[in-house]
Amino acid sequence: MTVYSFYIFDRHAECIYKRRWLPRPTSVAGKSQIPGAVGSSGQTVRAGDDDAKLVFGTVFSLRNMVRKLGGEEDNFVSYATSQYKLHYYETPTNIKFVMLTDLKSPSMRIALQQIYINLFVEYVVKNPLSPVEHPGGVGVNNELFEESLEQFVTRVLA
Amino acid sequence: MNSRRVILTVRSNLVSRNDRTRIDKVNAELVTLTYGTIVAQLCQDYDSDYQEVNKQLDKMGYNIGMRLIEDFLAKSGVGRCANFRETADMVAKVGFKIFLNVAPTVTNWTSDNNQFSLIFEDNPLADFVELPDDGRAQDELWFSNILCGVLRGALEMVQMQIEAHFVSDVLRGDDTTEMRVSLVRYIEDEMPPEEE
Repeated sequence: MTVYSFYIFDRHAECIYKRRWLPRPTSVAGKSQIPGAVGSSGQTVRAGDDDAKLVFGTVFSLRNMVRKLGGEEDNFVSYATSQYKLHYYETPTNIKFVMLTDLKSPSMRIALQQIYINLFVEYVVKNPLSPVEHPGGVGVNNELFEESLEQFVTRVLA
Repeated sequence: MNSRRVILTVRSNLVSRNDRTRIDKVNAELVTLTYGTIVAQLCQDYDSDYQEVNKQLDKMGYNIGMRLIEDFLAKSGVGRCANFRETADMVAKVGFKIFLNVAPTVTNWTSDNNQFSLIFEDNPLADFVELPDDGRAQDELWFSNILCGVLRGALEMVQMQIEAHFVSDVLRGDDTTEMRVSLVRYIEDEMPPEEE
C-alpha cells in the first residue's frame, strides 16, 4: 500500500502538521477545476495550505453528518473514492488525524491511533519545552516526531 | 508510606509496543518535595501574597492539565463521557488513580448534576507539610491549588469549561480536604475561520 499524505488538525480547526509522501493521482488534484476555468488566476495547482483546508472541511462536515445520523457516539472511519482512501481518527480532545492512502490499504484507524498514542503524545505533548498548543504547527515539527513518523510510515505501514 | 509510589509516566515507543502498559514509578517523596519547593518558592517570590500564590498554582496546573489529558487518554483508552456524573467518576477513579495513586470520593452533588465535591482522604502533595505560622497562610493559602488548575485544563480539552476550588483542607485544620467542581458549560466545536 502507499501512503499519500498525512494531516493533523487541532481543536481550533488549524492544520498543525502536514506531510506528503507521494503526489496524489492527478485527477484528484484537479477534480475541483472546472474545465475552462483555468484562466488568469493561473494553473490552479492547489497551494499546500488550501489543500489542508479542503481536507478539514471535508472531514468536519462528514463527521457532523455522521453524528447527526448515527448519534453523538458515531464516527466515520474512512471513505474511498475511485482514486484514494481517506482515513480518519479523532481523539476526545478533538485532535483530528487524517491519512490519505491508495485503495488497496486496509483500515488505518489503528495506525492513526498508534501515531497519536506513541508519537504525538510522546514526542509532542510530553515535550515540556514545546508550547501546549501549536498555532502554525510550532512544536509539532520536532525531529523526534518527524523521524518516528517517517519510520512508522515507511517501515511499519509499507 | 515507604511502599507508596506515585505513578508519573508511561514510557512507550514504537519498537517495543508490547511494553506499552509498563508504568514507570517515581518515588512519592520526590514528588512531594518537588511540589513543596515550588509552593515555597512562589510564597517567597510573591512576598507571601497567598492569593497570588493560589492563582499561580492554578495557572501552572492549567498548563499541566492541558497536556496531561492527552497522556490520560492515550494511557486509559477511554472515550467521551456521556454526562457530567460519569466525568466526575472518571476523574476521581481513573484520573487521580493513574497520576497520583489516590481515589478521592465524589459526593455532594447538586440536584442539577452540575456540581460535585471531591474529598481527598489522602493527598500525596501535602505529605510532611505544615503551613507557615504567620496567621494568614492558614486562612489564605490553598496548598494543593495546582490540582484545581489541572482539572480545569484537562476538562477544557475535552470540551468542558469548569470551575474548581478548594473549600477545605486538613492542612488548615479542617476535618477534610474538599475540592468543589462546577460545570460552567460544554464547549462547542470551533469552526475554521471564515474565508473571504
